[in-house]
Amino acid sequence: MDQAWILPAIPVAIFIVVALFGRLLPRQGDFLVILGGLTVVGLVFSMVPGFQGAFHEGHFAPDGANAFSFDWVNIGQGFFIIPFSTYVDAITMVMLPVVSIVALMVMIYSVGYMHGEARYHWYFAVLSFFIAAMLTLVLSGNLIQLYLAWEGVGLASFLLIGFYWERQSAAEAAKKAFITTRVGDVGLMIGIILLWRATGSFDIQDIIAVAKSGQIDHTYLTVSMLFLFAGAVGKSAQFPLHVWLPDAMEGPTPVSALIHAATMVVAGVYLVARFSPVYAEVLIARDVVFYTGLITAVMAGTMGLVASDIKRVLAYSTVSQLGFMFVALGTGAVGAAMFHLFTHAFFKALLFLGSGSVIHATHAQEVESLGGLRRKMPWTTTTFVIGSLALAGVPVFAGFWSKDEILAATLEDAPLWTYVTLAGTAILTAIYSTRLVLLTFFGAPRDHHAYDHAHESPWIMLGPLVILATLATVAGFFALDQVGQSLGFVGGIGQLVFLEHAHPFTEPEWLLAGIATLGALAGIGIGIAYWHGDARRAVAARQWAPDLHALLVNRYYMDNLYQAVIDRVILGLGGVIAWFDKRIVNETGVDGGAQTVGYLGYRLKFLQTGRIPNYALGMAVGLITIAAIAFGKQG
Amino acid sequence: MTPSDGYALIALCLLPLSVSLVLFAVPSGRRRIVVSITGLASLLMLALSVYVFTRYSFAGQQFQGVLAWTWMQHVGFLGEKGIQFKVGVDGISASLVLLTGVVVVPATWVTWKVRDRMKDFFILLYLVTAGVYGSFVLLDLFFWFLFYELALMPMYLLIAVWGSTRKEYGAMKLMMMLLAGSIFIFTVIFALFTHVGAGTFDMVTLLEAKKELWFQRAFFPVLVIGCGTLGAIFPFHSWSPDGHAAAPTSVSMLHAGVLMKVGAFGVVRIGFQMMPEGGAYWAPALIVLGATAGLYGAISALRQTDMKLLMGFSSVSHMGYVFLGLGTFNAIGWSGAILQMTAHGWMTALFFLLIGGMYDQSHNRDIPNFSGMAKQMPVWSIFFIFASLASLGLPGLSGFVAELHIFIGTFRAYPIVGGIAVLTAAITTTYLIRMLAQAFFGEMNPRWSHLQEITWLERAGAAVLALAILGLGLWPAPWIARIAPSIINIPGITL
Repeated sequence: MDQAWILPAIPVAIFIVVALFGRLLPRQGDFLVILGGLTVVGLVFSMVPGFQGAFHEGHFAPDGANAFSFDWVNIGQGFFIIPFSTYVDAITMVMLPVVSIVALMVMIYSVGYMHGEARYHWYFAVLSFFIAAMLTLVLSGNLIQLYLAWEGVGLASFLLIGFYWERQSAAEAAKKAFITTRVGDVGLMIGIILLWRATGSFDIQDIIAVAKSGQIDHTYLTVSMLFLFAGAVGKSAQFPLHVWLPDAMEGPTPVSALIHAATMVVAGVYLVARFSPVYAEVLIARDVVFYTGLITAVMAGTMGLVASDIKRVLAYSTVSQLGFMFVALGTGAVGAAMFHLFTHAFFKALLFLGSGSVIHATHAQEVESLGGLRRKMPWTTTTFVIGSLALAGVPVFAGFWSKDEILAATLEDAPLWTYVTLAGTAILTAIYSTRLVLLTFFGAPRDHHAYDHAHESPWIMLGPLVILATLATVAGFFALDQVGQSLGFVGGIGQLVFLEHAHPFTEPEWLLAGIATLGALAGIGIGIAYWHGDARRAVAARQWAPDLHALLVNRYYMDNLYQAVIDRVILGLGGVIAWFDKRIVNETGVDGGAQTVGYLGYRLKFLQTGRIPNYALGMAVGLITIAAIAFGKQG
Repeated sequence: MTPSDGYALIALCLLPLSVSLVLFAVPSGRRRIVVSITGLASLLMLALSVYVFTRYSFAGQQFQGVLAWTWMQHVGFLGEKGIQFKVGVDGISASLVLLTGVVVVPATWVTWKVRDRMKDFFILLYLVTAGVYGSFVLLDLFFWFLFYELALMPMYLLIAVWGSTRKEYGAMKLMMMLLAGSIFIFTVIFALFTHVGAGTFDMVTLLEAKKELWFQRAFFPVLVIGCGTLGAIFPFHSWSPDGHAAAPTSVSMLHAGVLMKVGAFGVVRIGFQMMPEGGAYWAPALIVLGATAGLYGAISALRQTDMKLLMGFSSVSHMGYVFLGLGTFNAIGWSGAILQMTAHGWMTALFFLLIGGMYDQSHNRDIPNFSGMAKQMPVWSIFFIFASLASLGLPGLSGFVAELHIFIGTFRAYPIVGGIAVLTAAITTTYLIRMLAQAFFGEMNPRWSHLQEITWLERAGAAVLALAILGLGLWPAPWIARIAPSIINIPGITL
């Protein structure tokens, strides 16, 4: 396990080769990238046996297994060290399969989806770079390395959102994503430095140990953890920095599946989960996590209800589901959060790839111009429905298990109203996912041009869909201890991830599960009863409450607000400072100084008159003055 | 580094100087001869710079490769050591020598594009180069000041003759402000000479001699004004944007890339190393100036539309980080400040190289006039995006390593200021990404469909700088290992 650094090293090497020489390689080097992805998946699974049964209370990782480390920076013979190290524990072991499997599926799928695109090799190169950065992120043993990878995935996201940069909207979206997440990263950087200041270390486990020992001032620790959380808010698109993710859908759809649904956006969840022992010490910070998640879940869920772009609906759904994960983290149920991250990655990647299949076939993204596609695209439809059922939280499918865990944790550890709100959001989830399925695949085709053009996607795209659909069905069973034990682990995922708060999960709490199921079914029922594949109902909703609809369609006017703040306040301030620099500092200070000297020279030159009497007078005055001073001193 | 390696340092001072002299003898029309001589000389300088950097042993003494010839002694007020031609480097100047070597090569390559009196251009450019190298490696204040002035003077002609947009104004302003700064430096040099009273300008002697507290406190700020003007410290920065906008490409590269660092280096060498107690006393003022400059430059850059002006204000902001790092007066912040000199030098040189490569064809630098340039000039755009990412502090590139140390050092000393500095990084991101989205992405503006991709020489030059940026960003240990011991040697500095 001390060889874990190989995991990111492979895709980095492939990135360099494909980025530089991709044009010269056969098939522009896509097979190399896929081969790299396959190798990573293989290596990840070869790491699994080391984890099976190796856990015992209080130890997250097998002893001595995280030996890989070197000094990146060393000032004053060890006074200030930034080490690079890998750290593999159960949280990492949940992340690694998610990242590697979804990445591999997306790579294979992309061969079909991106076929014939300009800059094909660049796409695959950046994809490979992304995998490397993401693997580094989850393997990081220290915060600087994590930050490095954190910005690395951000860069990949920026480049891929802006992949179609000729489109103005894509350029804008890439800009927005980069700047918005960067605002969060300011917080992360400050948090990292504050933690270093208190502990003298960047090593995550050292920091956790010091923080838990209570040596750090409580307020200081709270502030640090809030700053750290700001980074998570930016990256995981939580309120109030959620605005970039819906726009990020300008990128190619497989990218949305990988980066903006399954992996990069959960980096924030991963970060908070990593530091969960510290968050357990500072409950105010943890409450902030909880309520941020709750607000985001509700807000994004309502926005998803009215969005008309198939990918945007999924994007809002992603934001909302990330909110669910933060709610779980906010109650301290790290296991539930990681479990939802695990299942969500599979079914949301599935949904995105399914929507990509639709877009590939019809070249249309607006649900109002789709419809009836189930007859032409049976495989896409089936897998998409499975993904939707998982998202809605219908039993058997993956989303049910994990969402149930989160709801249970909320009921247990948080005020009742938050449970009710969250359960309501879960129903909302079922409604909008039903709406999406009905409007896309059922009913009568609305745009006949798009419909006639439609065809089932090639197998290279359907294959990943089928595999992910399978995972979206079975991934939930990992919750059960019996399943975990039969695979050789100590128990289900709840046992693995957070041993200190582990509670055996042999069977669901039937009452809660029943309520959740009823909720999901009710949501689906409402959706079917209302839309049953009829787009006119969407218009009816608009007319029913135009103000509310406008509020939701305009995303609570938050984007407008931010734009106004940037235009008026920040650029306005820039204008003031630029004016100050130009007029005051430069023209008054510098040029003015020069002009003053020139003017003085002009004035003083008249002293030189060329007349002897003037000079004689000057000499006389000077002599008398000097004499006076000299005598004055003597006397 | 053995004393005999000092010959490499002498070569670094004298090689560009002798190239300038040799070029006088070359007939103006013989461009190929000029190209061969300068090409060879620049590569040789790079090789020597790399040699000096790699040979500097971080286990040895602070000043290495020390060689001295006495020029004048026992004359008037001069004592035993008197005025010497003395060379030697510590870890800080060794890293700056490498910085210079890497910038000079691409600066030479892009100058080969100059059509008008290229030979004369090179004569002046190499005088500047000699001055810069001299300022980094000389250990005698007399000669140091001579070379310092040598680096400034040719700037006027270079800008006023070969420049663009308001070139006479820019050249005159730059010259006047920098010479005004020189007066302050000159004052401090003689004050040091008389105060120590050893009858010598030898820097090592002056460095080790005891200086009164009042003296250090009184003269440190004088020096900061003098050298800080060249380092574009706020509020003495206003020559920088206009000067850079007016200067021809290679002059901008050398000036923003290297010459501004001579100013900051002066603050380090004559200021902090010779007057450490004065430095400790005034460090909080540097913090204020540095943080202000960082924020002020970044916010001003938000509203600039001329690419070179934007880079000029960006330089003010990035040099603000240098002074911020120095102001922390701890080893971490200082390492960041010294690294930032190198990091900023390389990325600004890259920026100016690229802007020049485009401006030569379009004669336009106004950002709103451009869009979708990535279509027309992909290689150029990739390098430009790379430089922007380095400038905004993307981890893995040089800017991040430097900024990280400065941030941590600042947080160690003044947490609130540290927060402001980190925030400045977000503003930097905003103005750079806004520029990228405007000029490089979106639909191609057909007005520029005649533009050619940058030349192979420019690509090669950009690649040299990009590799250097990547090298420092990914593996900063060789730099830190050389810089840190010299920093820790400064009396009174906290770890």
